[in-house]
Amino acid sequence: MKVLRITPDRCTGCMRCELACSYMQTGTFQPAKSVIRVSPFEAYASYAPYTCPQCAEAWCLTACPVEAITVSPVGAKVVLDDVCVGCKLCTIACPYGTIFYNAETGKAFKCNLCDGQPACAEACPTQAIEYVEAETHDWLGAFAAERAARHLTTLASA
Amino acid sequence: MGSTVPGGYAGKILRVDLSTERIWTEELTPEVCRTYVGGAGLGAKILWEEVPPEVGWDHPDNRLIMATGPFAGLPIWGTGGLTVVTRGAMTNGATNTQANGFFGANLKHSGYDAIVIQGRASRWVYLYIYDDTVELRDATPLLGKDTWETQQALEQLLHLSGHQLSVYSSGVAGENQVRFAAIAGDYGHVASKNGCGAVMGNKRLKAVAIVRGTKGLRVADPRGLMLAAEEIADDLKYDPSTRSLYEYGTLPGVMNLLRLGALPIKNYTTNVAPPGVDLDKWTAPGLRNGFPHRGYQCNACGMHHCHTQVLPAGPHQGELVDEPEYEGWSAGWAMGCTDPVAVAWLNTQIDRACVDVNEFGWLAGWVMECQEKGYITKEQLGGLELRWGDVEAANRLLQMIIRREGFGDLLAEGVKRAAERLGGPAAECAIYTLVGNTPRGHDHRARWEELLDTCTGSSGTLDSGPPVRHTEWGLPARFSTFDPEAVARVVGVTRGRRHFEDSLGACIFTTRTYMATLCRALNAVTGWDFTKEEAMRCGRRTAALLRAFNVRCGITPDLERPSKRYGSVPVDGPAKGQDISKHWEHMLDVWYETVGYDRRTGKPLPATLRELGLEHLIPALWGSEEAAHARR
Repeated sequence: MKVLRITPDRCTGCMRCELACSYMQTGTFQPAKSVIRVSPFEAYASYAPYTCPQCAEAWCLTACPVEAITVSPVGAKVVLDDVCVGCKLCTIACPYGTIFYNAETGKAFKCNLCDGQPACAEACPTQAIEYVEAETHDWLGAFAAERAARHLTTLASA
Repeated sequence: MGSTVPGGYAGKILRVDLSTERIWTEELTPEVCRTYVGGAGLGAKILWEEVPPEVGWDHPDNRLIMATGPFAGLPIWGTGGLTVVTRGAMTNGATNTQANGFFGANLKHSGYDAIVIQGRASRWVYLYIYDDTVELRDATPLLGKDTWETQQALEQLLHLSGHQLSVYSSGVAGENQVRFAAIAGDYGHVASKNGCGAVMGNKRLKAVAIVRGTKGLRVADPRGLMLAAEEIADDLKYDPSTRSLYEYGTLPGVMNLLRLGALPIKNYTTNVAPPGVDLDKWTAPGLRNGFPHRGYQCNACGMHHCHTQVLPAGPHQGELVDEPEYEGWSAGWAMGCTDPVAVAWLNTQIDRACVDVNEFGWLAGWVMECQEKGYITKEQLGGLELRWGDVEAANRLLQMIIRREGFGDLLAEGVKRAAERLGGPAAECAIYTLVGNTPRGHDHRARWEELLDTCTGSSGTLDSGPPVRHTEWGLPARFSTFDPEAVARVVGVTRGRRHFEDSLGACIFTTRTYMATLCRALNAVTGWDFTKEEAMRCGRRTAALLRAFNVRCGITPDLERPSKRYGSVPVDGPAKGQDISKHWEHMLDVWYETVGYDRRTGKPLPATLRELGLEHLIPALWGSEEAAHARR
């Protein structure tokens, strides 16, 4: 299955993925509605994007009481808007914080891999986000742990 | 909101009166969008209409305009910046200066295309913007903080990090109204020209803090926009003229300009690198890879340009700094410093202190030369010894300047005023234009187009910049920098292109493509049918407005010349013996004729104003003289 492979070391924090993603989600350039999100590490000195890794054992899907989350033909876990009741259980269940609640529509929303042509991967100028055949993985874990440790060490020694 | 404005615009101008602490918004009309586009164009219009000649740079009624444009906040490379337009402290005339980062993107996503600030606060405040929440908040806890500390303090206070918050401030230099104080933010991006930071300080505005807004930007043709964005990106990546800029930003400038004799060394006293300098360290790969580094790009940008770096050696080893631009490296050379690590450190101190890096480079280099020659004594400097290349001493001088301590109080007035005050042989060593500003970080005696452009500029710096894709206008691809006629024509014919670029809300390094391509992107965003001719006319309109503003402020053509040292003859290096002064009057003749301005008064001619749709300026500029001129 093709997945969004994220190589955090390549990210320069330009946020172009968020712009492209939000266009696919809303039809406007509105990063607040993006489902890929770039976070800063080490204060502001490094950045990395993150979105739903489409876990095999999807807790969002399991947690949903009305079966509004299903698997799309490209293997993405997607929210069925006409079934979702907006209870937000999925947002609590997700261990990565990559499923969101839209107060305007009253529905959950998340990465749907743009039905097989992810805009974020196309928009990324540094190939920090690629859409490739691979096993999915917690792409950010090691990077975040190392960066956070470094930041905390600096704070401790300050 | 903004339903009547074209795509790409948020549709509103945010207005702030600091005197009354009143905040309101103003609708942007489709006509204003099409005529002035945004950024420099919109700023020039507001400046002309709202700042009469009796309102000097330090008058409360002066306007501080921070404007974006239709590209800001969209996925075109390098579209997060801002243009600052105001009546500036160096020339007491128009200012048009840019910084990049995320200010423009955050502002647009909060729903505003520009901020216009007037009045003077009765207490130190910062402006907080998050969507419809716009407030003036107490800035007392931020006083005395440099630009980086100010941003860090607001991040902690507001519990935001990274690009969720963009903060632009003017440092301690702004608080003390140092004439060449800048406005800087997002850790390394600086709108540096003409003392815009002094205006901000004069208004008692410590900072502008913009939270990344939640609003959406609509465009007319999203698919067309993405295609045009890719075309611009491909041009930057693969065209030979922009390839090195794409790979290394402005780093290749140091060695390229050294080869031309245009790298300023030791305050224009030489153009040859001192013996023993390891020039391998000064190549673009040397400067990039000589430091642990990481890309740190502006909104949506794929250039390998902006970086953060860590100092690998020396007394400040381990400190995180912003990778200097060419201008920062060249300021080091102007002070005789040839150690990249030392220059990189000093460059960030300058950004944090918040002064124009060029002006400080010329100032420190000048003081070093004067001290060596005994024109300025150690006692005058309060015991400070300033030897060529000593960045630690230069930083002490910087700190004296931004606090206006001792001799620093005089130097805080900038090179021209300090030199004129001292007079004598010291004044003859100083580099400046008679209008009041100093040049960019080149030795323009080996780059005549920029010397002419700097002296005739109406923005406190050069107006047109190095020609980009100028064959689009029928100009020859190559011309000699020492050919007075060709140089004056190129500077004149290309005038307006930079003003148009600075109206788009994009970085001038990412707009180095054909004007026709930029128009394709603009049309996809807005739904217009701009041609490159209309775009150029739009840029020339902005240039003429800024020029008219300066004429109205009393800046006359007799001031458009270099100081003695700035216009002198290089004594060594590749440009040895080239003397621009012999050609100066002729170059001005050709330039004035090309741009359609009056050689005697400096005013844009009535015919030029009509052609640009600025006939409403004619009564104010020409009055009854118009008829007389028609007869001449």
